[in-house]
Formats: sequence, C-alpha cells, structure tokens
Amino acid sequence: MALSGIQIYKLLPQTNCKECGFPTCLAFAMKLAAKQVELASCPYVSEASKAQLAESSAPPIRLVSLKADGREVKAGNEVVLFRHEKTFYNKPGVFVKLADSLSEAELQAALKAVEAFHVNYVGIDLSLDGFAVENVSGDGARFAAAVKTVRAHSKRPLILLAGEAGLAAALPLLAGETPLVGPATDGNWQALAALAKEHKAALLVQGESLDALAELSEKIKGAGLEDLVLQPVAATLAGKLALNTHIRRLALKKNFRPLGFPTLAVAGSAEEAVQAVTKYAGFIILERFAPELAYPLLVLRENIYTDPQKPIQVQPGVYEINNPKPTDPVLVTTNFSITYFSVANEVESSGLPAWLVVVDAEGMSVLTAWAAGKFDAERIAKSFRTFNMADKVSHKRLVLPGHVAVLSGELEAELPDWEIRVGPREAVDLPKFMKQAL
Amino acid sequence: MPVEIVKDKWPGSVRQVTLGATAAEGGTRSHTVTVGGEASLPFMHFEAPMPNRPRVAIEIKDRRPDDWSPLLLEVWGAAADNPAEWAKAAEQAGADLIVLALSLTKADGSPTQAADAAASVKAVLGATGLPLIVFGPGQAEADNELLVAVAEAAKGERIALGICEDKNYRTIVATAMANGHLVTARTPMDVNLAKQLNILISDMGLPLDRILMDPTTGALGYGIEYGFSVMERLRLAALQGDNMTQLPMLVTPGFEAWKTKESKVGEGVPADWGNWLQRAINWEVMTAVTLLESGADIVVLRHPESVARVKAVIDGLMQPA
Amino acid sequence: MAHTFTVTFDGFPEPVRVPSGSLLSDAVRLAGIELQQPCGGQGRCGRCAVLVQSGAVRRRSSLRLSAEDVAAGYALACQTVIEGDLQVHVPPQEKIERRLTTDRTAVEVSPPADYDPATVQPLRRYTLTLSPPSMDDQTDDWARLQTALRQQAGLSEVKVSLPVLRRIGQALRDGDWTVTVTLDMKTWDCPGCPAALIDIQPGVIPAGDPLWGVAIDIGTTTVTLWLVDLITGKVQAQASEYNQQINRGEDVISRIIYASKSPENGEEMQRLVLDTIHDVLKRACGRVGIQPEQVMKAVIAGNSTMMHLLLGIPAASIRLSPFVTAVNHVPTLSASEVGLGIHPNATVDCLPGVASYVGADITAGVYASGMETAQGITLFLDVGTNGETVLGTRDWLVTCACSAGPAFEGAGVRYGMRATRGAIEEVWINAETAEPTYRVIGGVKPSGICGSGLISLLAEMFMTGVIDKAGHYNTHLNTPRIREGEHGLEYVVAWADETYCGRDIAITHVDVDNLLRAKAAIYAGFTVMSESVGVPLDAVEQVLIGGSFGKYINVEKAVQIGLLPDMPWERFQFLGNTSVKGAYFALLDQRARQRIHEIAARMTYIELSADNSFYDAFMSAMFLPHTDYRRFPTIAAALEETTKNLSRPGS
Repeated sequence: MALSGIQIYKLLPQTNCKECGFPTCLAFAMKLAAKQVELASCPYVSEASKAQLAESSAPPIRLVSLKADGREVKAGNEVVLFRHEKTFYNKPGVFVKLADSLSEAELQAALKAVEAFHVNYVGIDLSLDGFAVENVSGDGARFAAAVKTVRAHSKRPLILLAGEAGLAAALPLLAGETPLVGPATDGNWQALAALAKEHKAALLVQGESLDALAELSEKIKGAGLEDLVLQPVAATLAGKLALNTHIRRLALKKNFRPLGFPTLAVAGSAEEAVQAVTKYAGFIILERFAPELAYPLLVLRENIYTDPQKPIQVQPGVYEINNPKPTDPVLVTTNFSITYFSVANEVESSGLPAWLVVVDAEGMSVLTAWAAGKFDAERIAKSFRTFNMADKVSHKRLVLPGHVAVLSGELEAELPDWEIRVGPREAVDLPKFMKQAL
Repeated sequence: MPVEIVKDKWPGSVRQVTLGATAAEGGTRSHTVTVGGEASLPFMHFEAPMPNRPRVAIEIKDRRPDDWSPLLLEVWGAAADNPAEWAKAAEQAGADLIVLALSLTKADGSPTQAADAAASVKAVLGATGLPLIVFGPGQAEADNELLVAVAEAAKGERIALGICEDKNYRTIVATAMANGHLVTARTPMDVNLAKQLNILISDMGLPLDRILMDPTTGALGYGIEYGFSVMERLRLAALQGDNMTQLPMLVTPGFEAWKTKESKVGEGVPADWGNWLQRAINWEVMTAVTLLESGADIVVLRHPESVARVKAVIDGLMQPA
Repeated sequence: MAHTFTVTFDGFPEPVRVPSGSLLSDAVRLAGIELQQPCGGQGRCGRCAVLVQSGAVRRRSSLRLSAEDVAAGYALACQTVIEGDLQVHVPPQEKIERRLTTDRTAVEVSPPADYDPATVQPLRRYTLTLSPPSMDDQTDDWARLQTALRQQAGLSEVKVSLPVLRRIGQALRDGDWTVTVTLDMKTWDCPGCPAALIDIQPGVIPAGDPLWGVAIDIGTTTVTLWLVDLITGKVQAQASEYNQQINRGEDVISRIIYASKSPENGEEMQRLVLDTIHDVLKRACGRVGIQPEQVMKAVIAGNSTMMHLLLGIPAASIRLSPFVTAVNHVPTLSASEVGLGIHPNATVDCLPGVASYVGADITAGVYASGMETAQGITLFLDVGTNGETVLGTRDWLVTCACSAGPAFEGAGVRYGMRATRGAIEEVWINAETAEPTYRVIGGVKPSGICGSGLISLLAEMFMTGVIDKAGHYNTHLNTPRIREGEHGLEYVVAWADETYCGRDIAITHVDVDNLLRAKAAIYAGFTVMSESVGVPLDAVEQVLIGGSFGKYINVEKAVQIGLLPDMPWERFQFLGNTSVKGAYFALLDQRARQRIHEIAARMTYIELSADNSFYDAFMSAMFLPHTDYRRFPTIAAALEETTKNLSRPGS
C-alpha cells in the first residue's frame, strides 16, 4: 500500500537539513510519495525506516528492456491502471512480423519498407521499433538465414518467435544484444529458458489462462530467468482485455509477483492494436506493415503515453477559424488549451472568420503567463515572424487580449508595422468586439 | 497455480437511457435503443454483465454538406442530396441510430428556417424506423430556433436534441421537457464541466435518464488523450456513486476524425502517411475504438466501412471468451 | 523624425511639451498632476480617464469607457498616444476616504499575561552613574561608559555605532555623569553578538516610563502600525493607511513589473511605502504625544514582494519561474539603513518569509494564530489578494498561495469598493420577486458594494435562482433587475434614485465570474494542499481566518458560495490582522521571534502551478457551491428546500 506524504514524513529524521535538495523533510516526503525522488537522497534516514519505505517503493511490474546496437525498447515499471492517476511510462514497442518462409527478395522488400518508414508528428520523428521474425518454416537453418538477412538490413531490436531448434540456430547471430525469444510453453520451457539464459535474452511466456501463465513464469524464474514477458492468449477482444486487465491489476493492487511482468500483444488489425496501446500491452507485434496503419498507431501511442500531469497545451501556430480570408482579423492568445478552446469556440460559434495566432506561453493562461513573463511583446512578435503572419493577411492589425493591454506599447516597438488593438478581457465578449470594433 | 483475480466492487452504475418511441409508446419508431446501465468499467464482463451494447450512430446532414471530405461524399453518393435517402442508406449501412446534423444555411446560402428543419426531421422519421438524434448547427440562436421547431415536429418520438452547452441549454432543455425528448450535453474535455452541465440541466427538472453526455474527445493525434482520460474519469466517478456523472456517453469520432488533415487531404502529404482512403478510415475507426475502450456508449461515425469495422469490434468486446 | 507636441491642462497655466508617441499619462505626470492608476497603467481599471477637449490622440484601448464617453472625448491616459497638440481636462479624482474602519475601531489586544520584559524583551534600559573624569583619570568617555556598563549592568562587551559615539560626550555632561542607555541585547541572527547601544539620554528615565517600539504590517493594500510600550507590553496606538504604492498597481505582479522597469521606479516604490509608514507612524506617535525618533525598535511583517520593495531589493525574480526571492530571512538592519524615520540606530527586524508568495505576513500569522502549537489539524486562511493558506499541526506545516485576485476586497468589480461608509455590506434577495434589500455601512445612500456585500450578494443570487450554479443569469425570470447592460447581463442591486452616485448599482456577469474565480482559487488552494499531504478536509479541527478582510465574512454565506468548506460553524474563527499581531509578539518576546524563525524554516511550500491538480480543483470549485455537491451537504439540503417552495419557470 502506498504511503502518503505525511506517513513518509514521520519515518524521516525531520531535521530539515536540506541535504536531499529539498527545503524541508516534508517536501522530500511528498516527492517520495509521488515517486519522483529516490530515498537514497536522504543521508540520515534510519535503517528501520529504509526497510519500511523500500517495501512500498519496489516496482510491481518488472522493467524488461530489449536492446540492439544502442537502441533500447523498454516495457514495465508501470504504476497505474489509468493514465490520469499519474502517467504511463514506457511506450509499447511496435514490432513488425516477418515470416522466415518469405523469399530473400520478399524479406528484403519488407525490411526496406519498414526501415524507410518514418513520419513527423508535432515535431517528433516516429518510426517502428523492430521486427519479430517468426520461424514459420519450422527449419532452424532457414530461420537463422532469415535473422541474418534482417540483421543485414536493420539494426533495430528483435523478437524471435521460434522453438528450440530455431533459437539455437539464430541466437548466436545476435551476440551482445537482448532480443525477446519464445514463446515458452508448458512443453518447451526448459529448453527455451536454458537458451535465453545462455544468450542473455528475455523470454516470452505464453499461457491460455492466468493460472497457466503464473505457474509457468514461476517455474522459469526458478530456473534463474528474471526478464520475462507474458503473452496471454484469448480468442476475443473482450477476452484479451480481461486478461491484460487482470495481469495489471494483480501486479499493482496485490503485488502478485508471478504476473509482475510486461505483456506482449499480437495485433492482426488496427482495432486490436488500439486495444493493445490503450490497455496495457508492453510490446506489440503487428502481423502486417502498412504505413496507413503504422502512422495512426504510433500517433495514438504518443497520445496515450503523454504525461497528463503537464499543463494541457495546444500546438503554437496559426489557427484558421471559419475559413478566414487575408482581410479578416488577426487575434492573439496563449497555448494553454482551455484558453485556446474558449477563444476558438467563441469565434467559431459566432461564424465570424479570423486568424488565431497561438503564442507559445508554456501552456499558461493569458494572465498567468503575463505574470510569469511568458507572454510578453517579444514572444508575441517572435510568433508573428515565425508563422509569417505578414504574408497571410493583407492588413496589419492585431487584437491583443484585454488582460495584457499593458503590452501594447512594447508590442508596437517589436512589430513596428502593425497596428495593435486591445480586445476584450473575456473570450465571451470577442464576437461583440469583432462585430463592433473591427 | 490458481490465481485469484481482482474484482472491483462499485457502489454505482450508469443510468439506462432509451432513445426512440414505438407506436405503443406514442411514437413511430420500429424499435427503441437503450444504452447505459454499466455497473463495471468497459467490457469487464467478469464483474458485471453489460446490459446494453455500445451503439453506432451514423451522422447525416439535412443537405449535401459543403465541408465534408470528398471521400465521404463519394461513398454516400446521391443519397447525400436528400436526408430521407441518406437516412435509408445509413440504416442499410448498419446504423443503430441516426444523427441528423442541421446546417446553418440552405444550399443557396440563406439561413435554414425552422420550417426547413422540421421538414427534414419529418422526412428522416418517415424514411427510417431507427431512433433519431438531431444536432443544431452549433450557433446558440439558430440552435434554439431550429430545435424548438424540431422538438415540436417530432413530439412523442423521444428523439435526442443537441447540443446543450453551458451557455445555451435552457431553451433546448425546456423544449425537450415539453415534447418528451432527450438532450445531449456537450462540454469541452473537462470532467468538472461535464458534471456541471448535467447538474444545470437536471436543475431545470429534466430527469437524468433523459440526458446523454458528450464530453468532447478530440481525434487521434488531436487531443484524444484528454478525451480518453476525461471519459475514464467520468465513468469511474459514476461507478463510485456520483449520480451526476451516471449518464451514458455519446461521442463523435466521425466528426473529430474527418476534420483532421490526415483524413481531409489526399495530395501533397508525406508518402509515409500511406493510402488516403484506408488512412482516413483507420483514423475514424481507431479514434472510435479508443473511445469505446474508455467508456463510450454511442459512437457517431461517418463512413460506412468504419461502421462495419466498429460494429465488429463491439461484437468482439461483447464476447467475454 | 521626432516631433514634439504641446499639451495644455485645464486649470494649469504651464503647458508641457512631449515627444510624439508619448502617452497621455506621461504628459500628466510631467505636468505634476497626480493621477490614480490602481491597475498600474495597464488599461484595466479605467480610473485614469481624462477628457481630451481638442487635438489628435490615438486610443490603444478604451476598455471601461462607453461609446458615449469616447465620443465625448474621454480617453484612458495610460493607453492613449499623443499625436498632436492637446487641450486636456483632468476630472477631479474621488479622494480615497482616509480613515479606514480599522483605524476607527482599534482592535482589542492585550499583552500576554506572563509578559516579563526583564526576561523576554531584548530591548533594555539602564540608568548608569559614572565617576566623572579628572586630571588623574583621563579615561575617554566611551571606555568610561563601558566600565559603567560592565559594573552596573553586567555587560562586558557592548558595540556602539558612530552616531551614538557622537552623542556620548554631550549626554554624559548634560546629565552630570548620570545617563540612561537603551540597548538591544540580542538579535535573532547573531545570538552570540554583544549588545548594541541604541540610545543614550542624559539623566534618569524612570523605570516605568514607556520604552517605544513599533510592529508594522505592510499589506499590498493596507499598511498597519501598532505603537507599543515595551515596558508594559501594551499597544498604545494603532493606525492604518492605504499603501501608497496602490497607485502603481493593485496586485503584487503589477508592482513588481513597475518597480523592475527602471532604478527610478524601484526607488519610487520604496519611497511610496516609506511615506505610508511615516504617515501612520506620525499619526500613532501624535496620539501618545511622542516624536517618531523616540521609537527604538521596529518589527516588520509583510508579503515577500512588499518586503523586497521596502528594502529596495530587486523583486523581478519573484514573478518569474522558478519563482525565487532574493532573500527570505532578512538580517537585522538599522533604521537609518532602511530609511525608516524612527530612532536612526533602532533595530529594524524584518520577519522571515517562506517563498515568493508566502511571506512574513503568513509566518507571523501562523505564530499569532497559535496553530503551530495545536495538536489537531488547523487550516489557516488569509483571505486576501494572494490567497495564502496553511495547513498543519505542531508537527508539520504546509502552505501554498493562489492568486485569488482582489475581488473580495472590492477591487476588480464594477461597483466594488472597500468596506467604508456608503458600502453595501449585506444583501438579501426575495426568492419570489427577486427584489433585494441591503444594508449600507454608515446607514447612508450606497456608493458601491464591499467584499462582504459581494459574498452576500453572490450567495443570495445563487440561493434564489437569479443566477444558476455556473453563475449565469437566469433571463427567464420576470424581473427588470436582470437586464442587458453595457457590459452584458447584470443584476441591479440599487436603482439610481437610491444611490449616492446617482447611477444604478449593478453586478455584471464579469463581476460574478471574477468572484467565482476568487472563491474557486482559495477553495482549490486548500483542497489541493490537503490532498497533496494526504489529509482529508473533514479532519480539519479548526479553520482560522486572517487578513483584515476576515472580520467581515459571514460564514453562512461564505459556505453557501463554496468559499469556505461546509463544516460546523463553531470550527471557524476570525482572527483579524494576524500579520501585525505576529509582528507585535515578535517585538515583545525574543522567544516569539525565534519561533517565527523556526516556523519559516519548517513550513513546506507547495507550488500549485507544478502540476494539473490545482487546475482541476479550481475548475471543480468554479461552480456554486461546488461541482462535487457532496462536499456541501448542508447547502444541497437548503437548496432542495428552496426549490421545493418555488415554482418558477426556468429556475
């Protein structure tokens, strides 16, 4: 059970020595409760307290990291069931499945398509994380050849879906890497565990039920393997959702160690991939690569794994409301989402066209940003230059929020060609202002 | 190794809301549609059975829309010129419900009149037996004027009138009360605002089982994470016993997805965006599925292929094993 | 190419010349005309409106002016650019009523029952008799005095300053080698240091004669001073005055921005607050018939911004992320260093703050409130512009500040005013007719509405359905009092013929929004704080309310609007100005001073802007009484009762 700030505070020395970097022991305790600092930062905490606090801070879901050539794909260490409670930390890695039954040419074409794929989403360069090579042929040599081809064209981390023969043939090719291998089942787990151990690979554990999964993971742990990934198998979306939910709940709420591992989902469709991203998969294998699926999927993953504790921001830029023409007015506001939405909604529902310049004020409202020096003449002027506002409109008149009328003088100096008009303080008065004053 | 699963026990549940009225109930619908009633988080069938499956509505307009993607206009073809035809086509495409979104102006640019709106609604009601949801054009004055006429024209049909917002809800609620209809309450992606509007509407005397809430979601890539979390929080609050959040959620992934650049634009975009039509449909489907996972009771869609795919997803989510 | 223009002010013979592009307010200042700018020249308050009788101007903003005003030639001096020669008329300013209510009715304070100056008062007075010098004993005056201090007062080491050295010889001789000295024995920041000789007077001062000190609270709005006899511990005079800095901005942010613009502005802000202090000092001293120079010590409390501005320390970093002060624990200073017009050697002790927005006014208040010794959980609220709150017990204290704005002090509201004569202080609304009745301070015709009146009005409008729970006016009510005004929908509290100003007194939808925001910020502040330490609000055993505003709050109404938590009324207690009270205790008792130091060091400041939880709590509180109505069970029950008795369309 997680301890509150006050409960942790009572276990600390209460000397306010500041050596941990926080002004008081209570401030440090609250950071500990929020899992934002390590207890080790306190040089004076007693051994007894340390033991008590350690229990409440061990990660309930093991962090498993797949590595190759300096790239790393991590899963695990999650602490919540719902992202709003804190955040989801490790984005599920998306791997494209490649069958070793493909011809060399087909394999190369598929590899090249995935390797070349990258999209830009709000300034973030998105690409896929790796490949899952499957031993469809059942032939160890052919599997090793396929893995060799993959390695010749890609440096991304790998998942090897194969039995003992395939893995024994392919794993030596991946020295120095941490691939994920398996799946280990009731029938083959001993051999696979031995191979995974020998080649320092993470092992995928498959089971038809929670009971089977837990039993198998315990056995494999007993064989000395720590880095496991669970692959719950169910026939329907509802079944998959239930199993993934059970595993996450047991780990977080009951600290149930046999299921305290990230999970893997195999997605045959966009729909299945969506459920995997939103509901707890640690790794996702895409049965097929298609850019029109990969792009929205990677975007969804960015969205769901955004830290919800950060102020809600909209992208700074020029927003066109009701199809404005070059003669229509130019309004200015900040990129705090609520501020943006209230302005945009008022204007949108008034039917009046306008250009809305959203300035990067670090996600603060107009007054807060002004008070903190994040919404000043310099920033506004910079936005106008960056967004080339002068080229978008045929006039040079901008409307400043009434709350920052004080900036009009400085803004005149920063944007000497522009006429600065002071608008109303509240968004609700904007349509009236636009009708009367513009 | 026997594993004891964790089951949440919730004191609260979502209200059941019924749309439409059959002849026996004073309307003309061939059947009614009931949503809500969940006593657990979405699709946790092992905790409590879901009495009603989430429903798919198709959005149609009262005339050929000016600003819809050409992909949509192409697929609906000539039906988009006539709301009655469009409604029939939507029913054939598998809609559980019809959303009729009224335009602010007529094709000639003159404002849509109350009589026009009433006529459109009557035409749609005549063309399909599905329960109906009617959205105003989204401007306070026009909404109030048109929806009052719509409510009167559809008296007894138990349609849902939208959209109530915190600055404009009184007239719509009053006419819904007078004519036996429902309302949808839309708020901008905030748990508190959603709850506040429900309180304001219920303070006017409209029973809670006649309100659908639309917390606004954003599309995939355009703020869906806020919508997703707001919906999860609203549903958790409902299950925890907060009766002002115990309302079914209606969301509009079709509207959200089809206004994104990814769906609207087919040329001059990066090659890695892939096939335009498939991308646009994926965008709509994936937005919808994300919202189903967070508790949507009604998803309003636009493309018939999306409807088929989302209905298949709902089938899968309603089959426990 | 720079032009200059001539501006002539009505009633002032000398025109002024200004370069083109100057603001009208620059010209006003150049002409030596004092113009009020409570918003700090931001074009927000509309109080610097002047009448341009002729000439070309460009109005950047005409917020707060009606279309008719503009047509008549009115312009906001701070927002109007001079573009030609002008003839301008400056309308007479309404003078701020000088005498505040706090000044008329002095707060009853008595010194602690066990006050013993001989043990706890660091300021001491000794009468010393020295052996006169002779040809045999040519010891210098200071060494002679030191000997006497050692032999007669037991002080082996005493430090002296140059101004006192200059006076020693004369005092010894005038008193015929008998003098009375005043020493400051110990300061908090140097407990091992020798005592400081503050003053030397010829002859004997009887032991029972008063020894004067002052406790000062520098508020953003009001400066309060208590003149204290340190021998008896009694407060002998109290005086309050508006902080003259108010003309340069109503809130601390505006003042920091103003002060940061130039060194001259910084100096001006320092001078304005010193002028204010000297004003109240003179008045207090006058009442007991002494000179300010007879005051031997000052202890000062105030928020961090006020402290920085008083000391001329640049305050810009306070408002900029990551929001740090230049100093929280100010070392002891002398009155001459600070420029404070009491005895030049007197120690000036500025009490310590915690953070940028939790200053010495709060640490002093926490001490004065007694919460730092309480076993149970106490919530301490300072219901003011900065909305500071403290939660804790004797074991732990957490604090936060939320920008509530000045609405509850009557500012930022169209017909808002301070709690003086002519202010509507309480309102009742008839639930059937929506007709109000009101009570005015002084029983005269109303000029405006003060903070308590606004709380009362908001509560009544809400409880009677004039506004809905979101604060929107119910236009479906059949009453002429809800109408579309110049600034949108409003409710008329008093018709023009009932009022002193001869205009309708109304509360607009923007006013309602401002009040909602203020109450939501304060409520959200303490709820987030309680959640962040894991203490539920209903565990709070007492709620202490400080600030000069505190004594006006009507608990019932404040709970109805969701400003205060819904709990039994006996848990609320009003303490008045706890800041000056804390300074007073620190002035009397060095142990109190030490405790305040410790409080400042152990208070944990929570930065509310660090994550979303404050915003979420704020949105939740932006509703009447609150979105989570289960937090306000008694209000929910009362509402049910009201609606049951009413059958009204659309309500």
